[in-house]
Amino acid sequence: MSGRGSRRGGAAVLVGGALVALVVLMALLSFLWTPHDPTLVDARVRLQGPSPAYWLGTDRFGRDLVSQLMVGARTTVYVGLVAVGIAALVGVPLGVLAAMAPRWLGELLMRANDLLLAFPALLLAVMLAAVLGAGTGVAMVAIGVSTVPSFARVVRAGSLQVLRSDFVLAARAAGRRPWGVAVRHVLPNVAGLVIVQASVAFAIAVLAEAALSFLGFGTPPPTPSWGRMLQESQSLLFTDPRLAVVPGVAVAAAVLGFNLLGDGLRDRLDPRLEARR
Amino acid sequence: MRRLVGALVLLGLLAVAGCSAGAGTADQGEQTASLSVGLVAEPANLDFTTTDGAAIPQALLYNVYETLVKVDGEGELVPSLARSWEVSEDRRTYTFELVEGATFTDGAPFTAEDAVFSIERVQTEWTTSLAAAMDVVESATAVSPTTLRVELSRPSNDWLYRMTTRIGAMFSRTGVDALGTDPVGTGPYRFGSWNRGDSITLLRNDGYWGSAPQFGEVVLRYFRDPTALNNALLSGTIDVIGTVQAPESLEQFTSDPRFQVIEGTTTAEVVLSFNRSRAPLDDLDVRRAIKHAIDHRALVDTCWAGRGTLIGSMVPPSDPWYTDLTGRYPYDPDRARELLEGTDATSSTLRLRVPNLPYAVACGQVVESQLEQVGLDVQMDTLEFPAAWLQTVYTDADYDMSIIAHVEPRDLRAVFGDPDYYTRYGEPEFVEHLDAADAGTEAEQTEQLRLAAEMLADDAAADWLFLLPNLVVAEQGITGLPQNAVSESFDLSALGRS
Amino acid sequence: MLLRVLTRLAVLLASLAVSSLVVFAFMAVLPGDPARVALGVNASEAAVQQLRSDFGLDRPLPTQYLEWVRGLLTLDLGESYISRAAIAPQVLDRAQVTLWLVGAGMVVAVLVAVPLGSLAALTSRSPLGVLLSAVSQLGVAVPAFLAGILLVAVFAVGLGWLPASGWTPPAQDPGRFLSQLVLPASSLGLVQGAVLARYVRSAVLEVLGEDYLRTARAKGLRPGPALVRHGLRNAAVPVVTVLGLQLATLLVGAVVVERVFVVPGLGSLLLDAVANRDLVVIQDVVMLLVAAVLVINFVVDLLYLAIDPRLRTAR
Repeated sequence: MSGRGSRRGGAAVLVGGALVALVVLMALLSFLWTPHDPTLVDARVRLQGPSPAYWLGTDRFGRDLVSQLMVGARTTVYVGLVAVGIAALVGVPLGVLAAMAPRWLGELLMRANDLLLAFPALLLAVMLAAVLGAGTGVAMVAIGVSTVPSFARVVRAGSLQVLRSDFVLAARAAGRRPWGVAVRHVLPNVAGLVIVQASVAFAIAVLAEAALSFLGFGTPPPTPSWGRMLQESQSLLFTDPRLAVVPGVAVAAAVLGFNLLGDGLRDRLDPRLEARR
Repeated sequence: MRRLVGALVLLGLLAVAGCSAGAGTADQGEQTASLSVGLVAEPANLDFTTTDGAAIPQALLYNVYETLVKVDGEGELVPSLARSWEVSEDRRTYTFELVEGATFTDGAPFTAEDAVFSIERVQTEWTTSLAAAMDVVESATAVSPTTLRVELSRPSNDWLYRMTTRIGAMFSRTGVDALGTDPVGTGPYRFGSWNRGDSITLLRNDGYWGSAPQFGEVVLRYFRDPTALNNALLSGTIDVIGTVQAPESLEQFTSDPRFQVIEGTTTAEVVLSFNRSRAPLDDLDVRRAIKHAIDHRALVDTCWAGRGTLIGSMVPPSDPWYTDLTGRYPYDPDRARELLEGTDATSSTLRLRVPNLPYAVACGQVVESQLEQVGLDVQMDTLEFPAAWLQTVYTDADYDMSIIAHVEPRDLRAVFGDPDYYTRYGEPEFVEHLDAADAGTEAEQTEQLRLAAEMLADDAAADWLFLLPNLVVAEQGITGLPQNAVSESFDLSALGRS
Repeated sequence: MLLRVLTRLAVLLASLAVSSLVVFAFMAVLPGDPARVALGVNASEAAVQQLRSDFGLDRPLPTQYLEWVRGLLTLDLGESYISRAAIAPQVLDRAQVTLWLVGAGMVVAVLVAVPLGSLAALTSRSPLGVLLSAVSQLGVAVPAFLAGILLVAVFAVGLGWLPASGWTPPAQDPGRFLSQLVLPASSLGLVQGAVLARYVRSAVLEVLGEDYLRTARAKGLRPGPALVRHGLRNAAVPVVTVLGLQLATLLVGAVVVERVFVVPGLGSLLLDAVANRDLVVIQDVVMLLVAAVLVINFVVDLLYLAIDPRLRTAR
């Protein structure tokens, strides 16, 4: 049973990792090379089907879909990295602190953390957009801040477990300062959890960015973004569904990849869960 | 577990609903009395005396409110609440003979006193900038209940035309307490209800003095999203798309025998405005270069599916003083680069700040791409319409270029006549042309406005991307739809079903 | 037990108070004068001053805050500066629409998740189980608005079975109401159903391993009926709590789905208010949504306490 579980986790990591790698590679490659300029409007090649010159065809502005997809991957990775970065930078210390602080303070921190749960990414983005105007920055901050609570929760639970372990009790008995304990023992031991959480949060960020761009609170045109490509494809859904399928598959593949990677890693890191399967 | 059972029951209901929707066309009998029209911009309130924008007159003018005179589909002045009118020799006194028997929907009769009240109210109570067109009126007098005399301080060709727009709307002396939520007029329809975020319902005014409309009820349904609007017609939720906002998808209607597509003209110039009050667009060479850098035919083909008319200045072909100026700045990227040489435009970033409206976002991307071809660095920002765009571009003029359609008819003065307006034009010589046109004879008017339009083109005061087409899609059999959109109103009075 | 409930209640009240402060502060630092925004660019200074005093914008901020909170508690939210219509009835009207949508979305989610998840658990070692897991993974990866667009394309425009958009109050025309509810509720519920299915699957897997079910199967019951008779109830415990948490997600997801289907709910109200810079309405709607999420979390907490006796003493 356990062998089977780990093999399945392995498959998830493999498939998820491959999809994620594909997205990241596309994004990186787009810095060096794209088949065409992704924002170059060319009336002569509007709405062309796939061809040797345009592998996935063009949109109604005559822009190359492959190039847009590649630069869109860059937007996706960029938004995800910054959002997850914000969430981890705030959430991890918050979780560790809540675990190590006196009980009352820990509770208070977690209550404050729960309060953040009441402000989902979309609400934050709408509020921020009302103040600052819509844009990629607003979207990243909104997604990042709204993901803080999940990091803090996971890290706190993990930290509490580590803190109860023998080696930490020994270190504490030896008079090591809490700060030192946190850096030397707690953080390395919750790192795995953080990576798993980051992968899952990345998937959520990709979905959130697409939804925000769809509503017009995300990446502004003409910067290519998968969410905006989807939004622009809508009016031609019946005459040229290819325009919706391409970015739709991209979003789904990226989300699937990050989810699978996160699940697979979790199975590997958490033997208790694995045994359950 | 009980919860799950409850859930199952609900799903059963949903399934039933799914079936009944298929047979949902059974209420056809009722449909002949009701018509549903899909539009884009929902009004924020119903009071156009204090709130700007095209959405309120689109719904209410000619339908709920009537004017003394109105424009027909060809742009000609025709009688409405005034049966006839006479202009004095010195062209300063207008005498209107009003129709008899018109009443407001609050029961009060329409008399010359109401006309005087309405005209004076524009001068005293209205807060929108359009009200300035009424400044020329010196006095309005009710000679008899059906005779109105208006004295102008100077001859004005423009004034009577303005009386066909919202500022000419006739209000009841007893019906202006809640204009924002309960409009009272003399029109063929009366205001029924407003389901905010969804629809405004107009009901047939049974006491209407003219010929009664065919439909007992017209529902104006609002869709922010152009695709949702298309889908609503395709799936039978609405009967008419009042203004198509996604022309690239028009093919699905033209190829479908269930629908008719009406294509006409409008007075809505899509203007690429230049901010002349700051560098680098204060430089005539830069502005001319931009006009040479834009391939207008390709632009219309990509961002508005090739539908729309190319214009070279702020005058649509339907105005008598139209001259074809489209050849003045032919597409010539080399010429553009030449003009740009040595200007500071090549070393700065131009901010193209457009409202988040379908045509502006689409055309903005084309403009950006084309300008980058001649070496300009353009940064496009999409601003939420109306609030953010109005604040940033219109009020603060914090922009280099913007794109907006100016829908008002005959709007040379409104858009370019004032140096403090966001277009930052208002050259004294230009205003002189307008004043001369306003005061002169018909021939003089045509001549002067022609000169004014040419001056705009010579000064490269803006670039005119194209004239929006009037695109209406409706179910077959619906009649009386406007071919051309030459007024501020979506005129519902002639609608019928054959 | 009572003490725990009271503590949770105190936390809820404190959270509501803090979040109301946050929302108010947020709107107070907005650039631009709301009165100027409301009246537009051509208004005179006197008219702006008039509006400021009409709506009490010239009072000190703490007073404005307290007035606002009092308004929230008594459901007297005043008038919008923009539409000049009373806000409270409008918000309540819209909230009803959103509640219907979210409730129906929830039903769809459960109807998808319970069979799909249970079947995936029962067949977990066969290719079918793997396939079902893969389907739910894919479902999670599809954005709700994309699901909505596809549903419209197929069922409204393609097949013409259901309307593509719109809303009719249930009291006005129940048949029409339901037909218009199906597609938005499905696009909201299918994706959440995929998420929920994964929880159902692991909950059922856990239950399948329990002794009483093994006993039942030893007595000759086949796994399916055994599960239905004995297991689902126990599997329901963790699932119901997840469901509670998902309710909050659905509430926000409704904002996007309302846009796709032109449903006049809280989401449309919020987005329109943002476009018109109708600041008071933004403030009220955001506060309502935040309060709803907090209350839902509170109820889920109580459910935990009620369902799981271990939690009553532990922690």
